[in-house]
Amino acid sequence: MDLEDHRTLFMVVTLGLALVAASPALSVFLPFRGGSERFSKLWLLGPGRMVEDYPFNVTVGETYSVFVGVSNQMGCSEYYVVYVKFRNRTQSLPDVSSSLPSSLPPLYEFRFFVADGEAWESPVTFAFQDMTFQDDSVFVGGVWINGVAFPVDASAMWDSENTGFCLQLFFELWRYDKTLQSFRFHDRFIGIWLNMTV
Amino acid sequence: MFVMRSATRLCFASTTLLFILLSALMLSTSASSNQETAIFGISEADYLMAQAHEAVLGAEEVGADVSGLLDRLDVAGEYLAEAHIWYRLGDFENATRFAGLCFDVVEEVRSEAYRLTEEAYGLWVAGLFVRIIGSFVGVVVVVLLCYVVWRAFKRRYQRRVLGLKLEVVSDGS
Repeated sequence: MDLEDHRTLFMVVTLGLALVAASPALSVFLPFRGGSERFSKLWLLGPGRMVEDYPFNVTVGETYSVFVGVSNQMGCSEYYVVYVKFRNRTQSLPDVSSSLPSSLPPLYEFRFFVADGEAWESPVTFAFQDMTFQDDSVFVGGVWINGVAFPVDASAMWDSENTGFCLQLFFELWRYDKTLQSFRFHDRFIGIWLNMTV
Repeated sequence: MFVMRSATRLCFASTTLLFILLSALMLSTSASSNQETAIFGISEADYLMAQAHEAVLGAEEVGADVSGLLDRLDVAGEYLAEAHIWYRLGDFENATRFAGLCFDVVEEVRSEAYRLTEEAYGLWVAGLFVRIIGSFVGVVVVVLLCYVVWRAFKRRYQRRVLGLKLEVVSDGS
């Protein structure tokens, strides 16, 4: 290596060190947003706050509980809504591939804010009223969610595969979109099947 | 006499009918007015909630601690959810009441968020100034140090190269 090569090497090293020294100021003008994926998680836990013991066989007059939770990894605090809906096998589910929520009207809802990297969790209690069994069908006239009574007009046929009259309680996650200035289905939903029993 | 009694009865019946009709009309007008009040209250609360959220995001961006504000917005969110639920159930009075409760909380949060943003922005500007000055001084020090090291290196290199002596080797022929 001759002197000219050494000079080039020194200049490169000087430039590198100068960039390191200038990085506090550069970070203001070239903010590093991080390359990690941004997402939200939606989950449902059983009454013991574990992924077990979910209610399945339900009847009139009993109260059941689960926990619904959301975590935010979107890079800033977010404003969410979780809609609680009730359906039978023939009624619409959300279509995540087309970002379409279920067309069913929501019964209950949760509105909350979650800071980045934080989580939110809430208990959900539910009970049923006006359950009528007729031949191979069941009709449900009302659902109580967190102490509020909602009239419903749900029915289920006998499901020989699951040997029961199955109806689903499910939760849709929506997020406030600052650009649209309204809530948008956030492509996440979760639910539990419930077997209506006498 | 008979005609007079009939006329009195007719008059009484028509007055009663008119009274019932007017009452029904007033009740339906009142229900519709309650619904309109509820819709108005909920949409106001919805709008203010979105505004407060944006104000909190602004404060968060300039580095303010917004955890307390988010907790209060959560409370407002619960009220707003209640308002929507009662509205869907047709209980417009409760819907209006909860929308009002939400409105009160959110209005406070929004003002607080703007105040925090101003405070945090002042600190952010001061921090930016320190960073720029610090970076400038850092760059100057690095460049000077490198220059000094380069000069020392160059002197040593030249001394070593120039210090080399030529040796004449005879081939002995």
